[in-house]
Amino acid sequence: MFRSSNVAARIFERQIRTPAPGTSVHRARLFYENMVPSHTIYDVECPDYSFRKFTEDGRYLISFSRNNQDLIVYRPRWLSFCCKEENCMHDLPQKAKKFESFFTELYTVSLASGNEQICKDCFLYLESNQFGVFVTSTALLHDAPSSGEAVPGIPSIDKITFHLLRLEDGDVLDKKVFHNDFITFNHNVGVFLYDDLLAIVSLRFQTIHILQIRDSGNLVDVRAIGTFCREDDELFLNSNAQYMPVSDQSQLHSENHVETCAHQNQLYQNSSFLSGIKQRLLSFIFRAIWNEESDDAQRVQSLKKKFYFHFQDYVDLIILKVQFLDRHHLLMKFGSVDGVLSVSRNADQQPAFFAVYNMETTEIVAFYQNSAEELYLFFEMFCDHFHPHSKNSPHMNFISSHSNNIHAFEQLRGIKKKPNFQFLKKMLGSLPFSCQSQNPSPYFDQSLFRYDEKLISATDRPRPSTDHPIKFTTRREQYAHKFKIKSGPEAGSTDGRAKKISSFLFHPFLPLTLSIQQTPISQPSQPSINIHFRK
Amino acid sequence: MGSILGDLPSFDPHNFSHFRPSDPSNPSKMTPTTYHPTHSRTIPPPDQVITTESKNILIRNFYRRAEEKMRPKRAASEFLAQEPGCKQPRASMTTSDTP
Repeated sequence: MFRSSNVAARIFERQIRTPAPGTSVHRARLFYENMVPSHTIYDVECPDYSFRKFTEDGRYLISFSRNNQDLIVYRPRWLSFCCKEENCMHDLPQKAKKFESFFTELYTVSLASGNEQICKDCFLYLESNQFGVFVTSTALLHDAPSSGEAVPGIPSIDKITFHLLRLEDGDVLDKKVFHNDFITFNHNVGVFLYDDLLAIVSLRFQTIHILQIRDSGNLVDVRAIGTFCREDDELFLNSNAQYMPVSDQSQLHSENHVETCAHQNQLYQNSSFLSGIKQRLLSFIFRAIWNEESDDAQRVQSLKKKFYFHFQDYVDLIILKVQFLDRHHLLMKFGSVDGVLSVSRNADQQPAFFAVYNMETTEIVAFYQNSAEELYLFFEMFCDHFHPHSKNSPHMNFISSHSNNIHAFEQLRGIKKKPNFQFLKKMLGSLPFSCQSQNPSPYFDQSLFRYDEKLISATDRPRPSTDHPIKFTTRREQYAHKFKIKSGPEAGSTDGRAKKISSFLFHPFLPLTLSIQQTPISQPSQPSINIHFRK
Repeated sequence: MGSILGDLPSFDPHNFSHFRPSDPSNPSKMTPTTYHPTHSRTIPPPDQVITTESKNILIRNFYRRAEEKMRPKRAASEFLAQEPGCKQPRASMTTSDTP
């Protein structure tokens, strides 16, 4: 887009030429080719906290104490110092090696007490109000006593609390507590935030709780999809309780007052009703198979083969993960109970299904198996629409994907030789997407830089550490090396045998990166933190 | 000059000296070029309102596929007995029954 790669020439050109329509953000991002975090400060002296992530607007750095009970929020600022000579070309002062030169501690809040711990991997940020959602939970119980409503085989957590914090000052605005439940927290799997709607998947009770985060800071229940789909289903079933079998009626009359909704649900469980969402799903599958054939006799045959033969498998499906497609539609992943705690490697072996559900009409719109070619075609053509567009975080819409970036698309084409079964399952295994799991930093923009995706990528997960630095080269000028990111000590690690993992925290828009190298949990030691920035 | 714009300053006061502003009492003989439609086939309905579809393209595709699957297939016997008038008359470019 610019004729020259020189930054002064680019600034002048920016004054006199307007960009092509719709590309003003892309043109602004081109300047990141000139401003790179090329200088590294190794082994920064920093407090013993686990640094988790920058918020998407770059205002805060979220970190947790080692005992996972306190939240410490920092504000990123730049290193500043003064020197006596006129031309300060000498090295950085000693204070550059201090963490506090780059970050100011804003406050510390104690979120968890007693035997609770903060779930480090689960954090959501609402940019419009600068609210943060944090989760604390007690320990996991694998052999949980099964209550009537809970799915057997899923562990239980005594108390899970969702905290809504205003990050400006650390005030806890609201809390929502779940008892004897199980929600997957790794990498935001069990939660999804879209605009002001928060979806929480309760695996144990097979309910999707939709909450709204109000501007006033309240977490308001919108609906709970699972046993009931519409808000008044429960009322309707209650008022028609006279038609229930006699044994259930006596149970109903013996209860003087019903405490929780779960208690009432127990009655319906005994009366062998399937949950509302399951009924919607089964009826959709039934109707789809029914409409495939035109002849009545063939319809019955088809139903026997495809529906009734697998009926129990369909009934045993549980909701594993959910994401919003827009304010009314959810993309749900169904699977078996074994898929709950299985490692992602084995997840490919498990059968899984996807369903699109409309919350307003309570209808299932689509149902696919995880190897469906049709769903893969949608994924290939409309990948960006699986990340719902949020007007509150516009810069999150520029994260490179194969739908908006030619280089990512060519990469996909490269690995796709023929859409066979395994390939489809692997690609659709990333659905539904987890929210806020990708870094919006322009250094991950595939049209600007090329880097080794196995060693570093926009998805913030820790990766195995390497001794050699990770190189970022520009796309425009072939192999023009721009900067390197190296985690760990400058001279490389002395202990060659210990496997280390690195995680990288890129600031969303400043040329500032933290690389954290640590040994796995089995051999804990002080992590080594490097700061990479533009000097 | 007595024009609507008033006596605004200009580089050269002799610019626009030949300009005669249109006088409402003396209507100009020239009418501006206007274009009129020759047919009414493409006039939009009077109550037409154009808005953006609220569902994005991905969800629209899900619904379209679902409608195709849910549309009950007609039995083979029904296809044979089709009404004769169901086809649209094609505007004939050439006469079909020339000798």
